[in-house]
Amino acid sequence: MKLLLLKFFAFAALVFIAAPSFSQYTYFKPLEGFGIELSLSNTNLKRMPMNRNSIASLTVIGDHIIGGTAAKENLAPYIFVASLSKRELLEIKDLSEVLPGQRSIQSGFFRAADNTLFAGTISNSLNNGANPSGHLLQINIGTSGSINVSDLGMPEPGEGIFALTGNSKTNLLYGITYPSGIFFSYNISSKTFKSFKDIAPTLADLKVLDQEFHQLPEEYLSSALVVDNKGMVYGSRSINKIFYFDPADESFHTVTDLPEVWGRRTLGRVEAWATSMDGRIYGGNAGDGQLFEVDSATSKIKNLGKPIMMNRLRGLCFGADEKLYGIAGASPGYAHLFSYDAENEGYTDLGNPQFILTAPGIEQGIQWRGFQLRTITASEDGKYIVMGEDEALSQLLIFPVGK
Amino acid sequence: MQIIYNKFFISGIVCCCLFCLTAFGQAKITKDNIAFIDYSGFPEGQSTWNDIGFSSKYNKVVVGVTNHRDKVALFDYDVSTGKMTNNGLISELAHLRGFQWQAKIHSKIIEGADGYMYFSTDGGESKEEYFMNHPSGYAGGFFMKWHPQAKTFVNLGMGLQYESIKDIDIDPATGTLYGVSYPQAHFLVYDPAKNIMRDLGRLGSSHVPRVLFTDWWGNCYYVDWRQRLVKYQKNGDSLLFARNSLPAFEGTPGEKIVTGITAYAKDKKNNVIYMVTYGAKIVALYPQKNGIGKLVDLGGVADSSNKIESWQPYVPNLNIGNNGKLYYIVGGHGNYVIENKTVLMEFDPATKKHSIIYEYRVDELGEATGSDTKDKEGNLYFAGRRVLDNEDHSKPFLIKFNPGKKVQK
Repeated sequence: MKLLLLKFFAFAALVFIAAPSFSQYTYFKPLEGFGIELSLSNTNLKRMPMNRNSIASLTVIGDHIIGGTAAKENLAPYIFVASLSKRELLEIKDLSEVLPGQRSIQSGFFRAADNTLFAGTISNSLNNGANPSGHLLQINIGTSGSINVSDLGMPEPGEGIFALTGNSKTNLLYGITYPSGIFFSYNISSKTFKSFKDIAPTLADLKVLDQEFHQLPEEYLSSALVVDNKGMVYGSRSINKIFYFDPADESFHTVTDLPEVWGRRTLGRVEAWATSMDGRIYGGNAGDGQLFEVDSATSKIKNLGKPIMMNRLRGLCFGADEKLYGIAGASPGYAHLFSYDAENEGYTDLGNPQFILTAPGIEQGIQWRGFQLRTITASEDGKYIVMGEDEALSQLLIFPVGK
Repeated sequence: MQIIYNKFFISGIVCCCLFCLTAFGQAKITKDNIAFIDYSGFPEGQSTWNDIGFSSKYNKVVVGVTNHRDKVALFDYDVSTGKMTNNGLISELAHLRGFQWQAKIHSKIIEGADGYMYFSTDGGESKEEYFMNHPSGYAGGFFMKWHPQAKTFVNLGMGLQYESIKDIDIDPATGTLYGVSYPQAHFLVYDPAKNIMRDLGRLGSSHVPRVLFTDWWGNCYYVDWRQRLVKYQKNGDSLLFARNSLPAFEGTPGEKIVTGITAYAKDKKNNVIYMVTYGAKIVALYPQKNGIGKLVDLGGVADSSNKIESWQPYVPNLNIGNNGKLYYIVGGHGNYVIENKTVLMEFDPATKKHSIIYEYRVDELGEATGSDTKDKEGNLYFAGRRVLDNEDHSKPFLIKFNPGKKVQK
């Protein structure tokens, strides 16, 4: 009888606790999750100032989290290095000290076999409205986090670099320019660019994109490229198409449509790629936020649906638990962190992550909620997922994943 | 002889009164110094949330009363006649559609140079908190203005899509409105004359600071996540960040720090703006036209006690009397100086002395909001509500208080 009574009270207590929790906000906040404060104006601490810190490119090498930022018009971006183990910002480099006139480093990083990083820039507009050129950068990070940047020149006059990838085996980089969408390659050894206009929007495309739907280049160009295990370079082109570039004969192949929601094919473009350990390629469609898988053998794609209601799928990466993690949604709505487990769980919407941010002056820790997330990457061992914000004052949000 | 005696007697009384006033600073405050005034004609009225302001041009206190669901009634209290008027629902006055529902006015109601009273709207309930940008969620908050005499109403348009506007203030010289969005804590600058809305970006953390305010020059003050003042510097059109955080008690939890200030009161004559922080500190800001200005820590909102942490009392309201003393009501959201009692306190910035003037049971007065709402007679106003049950139901009413004299309803 006593045991029964105890069971009853235990059950009642559980119901009492559970009921309100279902009706409350739940955040993805694993206890081990944490934030790193990167941005703060008017401080003695090493931080990036306001409007120059949207984390647009992100990678991890060993203990170093390396980022490239996007700034507001007429301001210059930064390259930063933070320590995963120390949970603090180590170094920042104001790009204007090396290469004046640039606004963003948003191509993503390509990491060569020797850990040299490559990234492209987009410049600020000139007073006459013309586009000055973006540049290809070579970035070397020292063991203490020091940042060394070299200017490798520009792929096309008057063009910035919107997307970048590469192939370590061939020592070649591949990119897409902004605003014209010209495909280019860069030979790291010979330091030479080569441009191809094959996948740039045609006049007929522009008539639809610009004149009919009033879309801007940043709304229709592919902002991500990926190289498959055969060396083919995949990206998107207008309108709503997937292409690949075959470096062997420098040919372009438009292979299939991006998954679309009826009526919105004009919005289709790839903005994220991730490759699994077994070589499968996953992509994210900005137009309506679908995740898809590319079968590189057949060049066919499989629409894996949408993790959340909104459009955009800004970033993808694999964790050590072999789940695919991604960022769905964007302004004017709210980004959701999600995971995708093809075998078992399918999608899990983790919502806005909220982790503890601790730094000198806020030692007690404050909850930091990620509303606008732009980039996501995994540590080399896949045990940490690192996310970069897209705010006027952007921070890093990091959480561990188990195998 | 009788006349001389009378004169002597009256002079004596006057002298005694003067002596008492000199010795004790003011006449004794009794229950006659405070009045609770009901909002009539809106039985659904559930609460008020900082949405109170005074029209100096028309001598009216304006308050938004909500059913905390989808109806906000705009009331005005005529100080000269004591008449409370329900001027209608903002959803109707602003020609809102069903999908543009608004659950609260959460901002102050602030007077513009054109005589209009300006405010903003808020989702403020679960449909906003959880559904967010879903079609069943929240469309976004609006800037609005209402004229207390002509009774004309103007919808000035939305701030950010899907976001509430928790508080606004105005630059009286230019009519520029400043606002803060919820839940992302974006600082907004809106010029209604040119219909130019600018989003200056996110300044806060997970819990949005609810209050911003302006100085005499039209600069606006908010806080960042470190509880540092952030000043919108009108000259230069830029944000200026204070180097140091506002004073806080040792051990103040992070969620108190990130929520900034809860209320303010301005003393223009002495060039000081008093603030209360979410961590229960009273701080004096001596504003400057350019730059942040001097900050002085005036201590806690109550005398220290071993029954409650110094940072714990919740003070979402502040007024300044004609005597230069601060008056505020402590309590609400489970945080009290005296358990389950709401108290009206007096604080003298000169002596840093606290006094509890009134104590109320929570079913008499559970919480009060509102900043710097004073009429020409020195009456101070708070938007109060009494707790009806444990389900967060309450009944709102207007609090009129004058530390120097009896008040009439």
